[in-house]
Amino acid sequence: MEGEIVLVIVVATALVFDFTNGFHDTANVVATSISTHAMSPRLAVAMAALLNFAGAFISIEVAATIASDVVEATAITPTVIFAGLVGAICWNLITWYFGLPSSSSHALIGGMVGAVIAAVGTSAVDGEGVLGKVLVPAVLAPIVAFVIGVIAIVIAYRVCGRLRPGPVTRGFRLGQVVSGGMLALAHGTNDAQKTMGVITLALIANGNLPATGFDVPTWVVVSAATAIALGTYTGGWRIIRTMGTRIIKMDSAQGFSAQGAGAAVILASSHFGYPLSTTQVIAGGVMGAGAGKRVSAVRWGVAGNIVVAWFLTLPGAAAIGAVSYGFTHIFGDGAAGPVVLSALAIALGLTLFAQRIRRGQPVPTA
Amino acid sequence: MSAVAAIVSDATIVDVEALLDTAVASVVAAVIVTLSASLAIYGFATAAEMRRTDRDLAAIGAGVLAAASSLVFAATIALGIYVMING
Repeated sequence: MEGEIVLVIVVATALVFDFTNGFHDTANVVATSISTHAMSPRLAVAMAALLNFAGAFISIEVAATIASDVVEATAITPTVIFAGLVGAICWNLITWYFGLPSSSSHALIGGMVGAVIAAVGTSAVDGEGVLGKVLVPAVLAPIVAFVIGVIAIVIAYRVCGRLRPGPVTRGFRLGQVVSGGMLALAHGTNDAQKTMGVITLALIANGNLPATGFDVPTWVVVSAATAIALGTYTGGWRIIRTMGTRIIKMDSAQGFSAQGAGAAVILASSHFGYPLSTTQVIAGGVMGAGAGKRVSAVRWGVAGNIVVAWFLTLPGAAAIGAVSYGFTHIFGDGAAGPVVLSALAIALGLTLFAQRIRRGQPVPTA
Repeated sequence: MSAVAAIVSDATIVDVEALLDTAVASVVAAVIVTLSASLAIYGFATAAEMRRTDRDLAAIGAGVLAAASSLVFAATIALGIYVMING
């Protein structure tokens, strides 16, 4: 019975993470469309939410990677997964609070790895999987997106640079509706699957699913898709501002190029099962689209802060995940630890939200 | 051998072929999408300009370019989604 209670808490926590993932990453998907006035903020966010939902149904390659290539499914318990999720959620909220577009994906993987190390030791971490499926793609993906962003903006300017600006701006804004849609679809495909992977891992750890033969139950897919779509619709306006206006001042051709670069990299990676950071990929595309026009067009200071947040995400989330596991372990191996930690986390979350509301959040009115 | 070289050369840890496939697919898709969209915008804008100056033949040529590029753009997007759905 206690196992089932912990499982329910883990599934609920995973869906909360999925919600914060959508909330945190809305900026990645819509910021460029909003900053170039291709779409109104509300319309952009609504479209992103819808396509995030649809994207979650496209593939399960990334979910398979999360469930089988990061930690040993048979060596961990639902409590460990819960602690990892707490690490990821806390890191997401911390970076959201400071307006930093860090990676929800790496927060999740970092949290899981930290909790597993605290519980079982390094033997339960699939080092080769983490390196080959997470770390190396994590380094390469933003670089590829940057290069594609540069190539795309050079092509766009070469072809359309001598035309009157009016039709070109309108044309690329229209293109942004499509590229933004593809990006939202790509985001749903890559990011919703991470939660599916974690819930599946918890079901395996609790004995509800066999450890051999990876299969994601339909209710897991639907609930993960719904949570990320709701989170996306709620929107993280603070990060939208950083991503949309503070890295570069974007025109519509740059917005189109950045979104196109991001969508291409994320969709291709999802196809091959790499759980990428959509945040890092989009930021790479935005920087590339800026640098392709003029290197000094990129505010490298802001870009530097984002890169620092990237580097801190894995160890930061891992540390919180490990501490969370240590805390739950004080109460024994039953449901008491997760219940107490959940209550504390909910109280902390509500306090932070109340503070933000009192200070006033920069929500666009359009 | 450096650590990086060891990682790159050891295909059991890092699937270099899959990573390269991902990178190449991303670049090719993005280039086709950007080029076709840019040519479509160029075609539509030029066709409008030519019509204003009564250069009908040039306007038709630019219109054909715009239509063909729009088709390539739409087909690439559709192909991307198809590949994702059907693995």
